[in-house]
Formats: sequence, C-alpha cells, structure tokens
Amino acid sequence: MWFSKLSQGTGGPTLSEYRLWFGIVKNGKITPSDDFKKSFQNCENAEPLPFSPSEVGIKHFGSLDAYFSALRKVAIDVVKKIIEHELKREDRYAVLLLKSLDELNETINLLEEKLRDLEEVKVSEVTESFRDRIAELKRLRRDVEKEIEAIVSKIAPNLTEIVGAVIAARLLEKAGSLKRLAEMPASAIQLLGAEKSLYKALNRMKKGKPARFPKHGVIFQHPFVRTLPKAKRGKMARFMAAKLAIAARLDYFSGELNEELAEAVRKRYEQLRR
Amino acid sequence: MDRMKVKEVLHNVVLLDRNGRKILATKSRYAPHYGEKKYGEFREWMASRSKLAALILKEYVPEIKEDWKILYLGAASGTTVSHFADIVEKGVIFAVEYSAKPFSKFLELAMERKNIIPILANALQPWKYSGIVDKVDMIYQDVAHPEQVEIFERNADFFLKKRGEGLIMVKARSIDSTAEPKEVFTRVKQRLQSKFRVLAVIDLEPYHKDHVAIHIQR
Repeated sequence: MWFSKLSQGTGGPTLSEYRLWFGIVKNGKITPSDDFKKSFQNCENAEPLPFSPSEVGIKHFGSLDAYFSALRKVAIDVVKKIIEHELKREDRYAVLLLKSLDELNETINLLEEKLRDLEEVKVSEVTESFRDRIAELKRLRRDVEKEIEAIVSKIAPNLTEIVGAVIAARLLEKAGSLKRLAEMPASAIQLLGAEKSLYKALNRMKKGKPARFPKHGVIFQHPFVRTLPKAKRGKMARFMAAKLAIAARLDYFSGELNEELAEAVRKRYEQLRR
Repeated sequence: MDRMKVKEVLHNVVLLDRNGRKILATKSRYAPHYGEKKYGEFREWMASRSKLAALILKEYVPEIKEDWKILYLGAASGTTVSHFADIVEKGVIFAVEYSAKPFSKFLELAMERKNIIPILANALQPWKYSGIVDKVDMIYQDVAHPEQVEIFERNADFFLKKRGEGLIMVKARSIDSTAEPKEVFTRVKQRLQSKFRVLAVIDLEPYHKDHVAIHIQR
C-alpha cells in the first residue's frame, strides 16, 4: 500500500510531505488543518502525488461519502468567496457605462438641435425617421441609466444610500475605481470633479494673488448641497464627503449597508437648513 | 401524445426519436441548467452547445463509466458538465475553470449536483490543485487556449491514471489562427502521440467548424 511505501521514505525528505486540502501528510501521518478553506487554497505540491487525496481522506473523514461531501462543501465556499471578490470589479463596468451615458447625452442633444433646425425648414420622410432614431437613442439612454443604478446600488450600497446611484457612479468615475475611492481622504472626495478650479486657485496662491478655493465637486449635484445658501454649502459638502469616505471603505471592504451614515447626512442637512 | 422512441447509447445518454426528429438527451432528475428543453425525464443535449454532444452525434461514443472520476478542464458555465454529471452519477467530476464570471453560473450547478467539485484555478498550473484532485479515469479538456496541449500534458502527468483516457477538444483557430486547420490538427496529434496512444481523431463538422475531438489513452 502507499502508506507503507511512504513510511519507508523512498522519495527523500521533501517528497514524503504532502499538502492536501484538509491538512498535511508527513511520513504517512495526517495533521489536519484548522481552516479547510485556507488549506484548500494552499495545497500546492511541486510533484504529482503518489496517491489520491481521497485515499488518505477516507481515513480522516471515515467514509468516501463523508470525504467528498466535505470536499464539495469547502470547494463551493471557496469559489463563492472568490467570485464575490471578483464582482467588486463591476465598478469598472459601471464606470464605462457612465462614460457611454455621457456620450449618449451629448449625441442626443446635438441631434435634437439639428432635428429642430430641420423641422423648421421642411418635414419630410427623412426628418420623420430622424426623429424615430432619436427616440430610440433615448430609450437606450434609459436602459443604460437603469443598468448603472442596478450595478452601483449592488457594489456600493452605502455610497448609493447617501448620494444616490448617479452621483455615486460619478464619484467612481472620477476616482477610477471603488478601490481608489476607498483609499481617498474625505477632503479629496469633497473636491472630486473640481480639479480645474482647485489647480487654478493653487496657481494663483503660488503667485501670491488672492485665490478662492472650490468647496465642492461632483457632490454639488446633490440637492443637499445645491439647495443650501452659499455660505453653508461648504459645511455641508465637508460633512457629506466625510461620510462618503467612510461609506466607500465600507462598500469596498465589507459591502454591508450601514444606514446610520445616510441618516447622519440628512440630519446635518436639516440642521444647516434652519 | 406523440410517440417517442428511446435508444440508450451510453449510461443515461439516449437518442430520442420524436416523430422522426432525432434528439440527443441525458436522463436527469434535475431542472434545465442553460435553457435546454426537457422531454419527461430527459434533458436535451444540444450539439451546437456542447462538443461532447457533437462527438456522440457523430457516432463516436467514448465508453464513460457511471462511477468514473473525471477531471474537467474548462468548465465555463457548466453546459457540458451538467450532462457529464448525469452520466457519471456515481462518480466525481473535478471541474476546473479559470475565469470567475462564467463560474458564478456554474456555481448554481455545483450546488445542485452532489458529484461536482468546483475549482477556480489556472489549468496551466496543476500543482496548485494537486492536493485536491484524485487520480482520474478521464481528463476532458475544452479550453480554447493556444497552449492547450501543454495544459493537457501537465494535468495528465499529475492526475491521469495508468490506462486512463483523455478527450481533447481542439479548436484550430485558437491554437494558430493563421495556419490551415488540418495542419494544426496534424501537429496536435503528433505531439500527443509522443506521450499517449491516440485512439481516434474525429472532426466535429457540421456542429462545430474547425474543431476536432481527440481521444487518447495513457
């Protein structure tokens, strides 16, 4: 049997130790791992094993059935975990969709302008089909918007809860990815999308001229910031950015929704509105 | 009711004759996995979706036993694996796939069937899962990768039993898109012959263009 062969140690010292998904076999002795999921992902052997893992496993798990059902469970858990991790890359998809949405908006506006000009001159069959095509584009735009909302609310539930899917997607786009947004300080998030005016102000300051620094970038689009009197917008933007920074980290690392964040932002808004 | 003639070609694999229309199917108590039709207890096995189905419809039936252990490389979303699992109902399928996206669909299948072990890994590195996979009776490979023969050999070294078999689905276009398919197939066959006994090379036309199935034995 392979067992007796192993204990004779025919293959030299390195060959008699084998890493299996449920533990390490050394000189025929099993040392079970205390975390199967970990050992499952770390069971590399440089050379082919001289036996099947199940032959050893049957001794540890009692029966072949028990062995395979344990293996299956661990394998499924590991795959689930990896897939969930991969899904975080859906932020790329959302960002690309948002960029296409911007292009679509621009195109639709341009075409509509031309259509109006056309209609003033002459309404013909071609003009009609022009209008149909634009309506089609608008339908596409709705679909894209829906998809962005679906993705963003899935991958960034906390950001979405605070600022809504569209602004959340815009933040992702400006930052580049959820990971990078999660690594940003709140002050950077506050000014995302206001880079131009920020650098303009910095330049002026360098030259010793009076400079006005921007208070908000993308998040200005949110009604909580936009609807406040000018003097209070900075306060609101600062607070919101602080909560967004926490939200991005929650979304990236845990993915669970924390309702307190959005609640705090709403309270602060009520406070400032008075 | 229309009449249906049933002819078994392999364990749990049948050819149905429905009013003259021939349908390949596997006997399965599970619900459809990828939108295939069910005829009573049979799940239709479409040759256009699965190269193994195409191979069987070309009347080449590899004798896969119901208790075999299979190493399946390139499981993707599990179309073929779902039928494979019907065949080896008393065996085990170790299903390896590299990309996570299709595997989320595959996971549904793995959770439903008791005889599938899903492994998310790069098939070019069999040592990474050497502590999981048993010695197997057959390696089935459908990976559409320029290095697919290398992949097969490495996995055979690690896991294929003596006299164990291999089914390799070769896509000419993914190995060398500039060479003539025939040339590619000859090259692949010659390379396999240096290590294995090549039992058959079967062209999968008209179901899959520029594809052959190569059946080997160690």
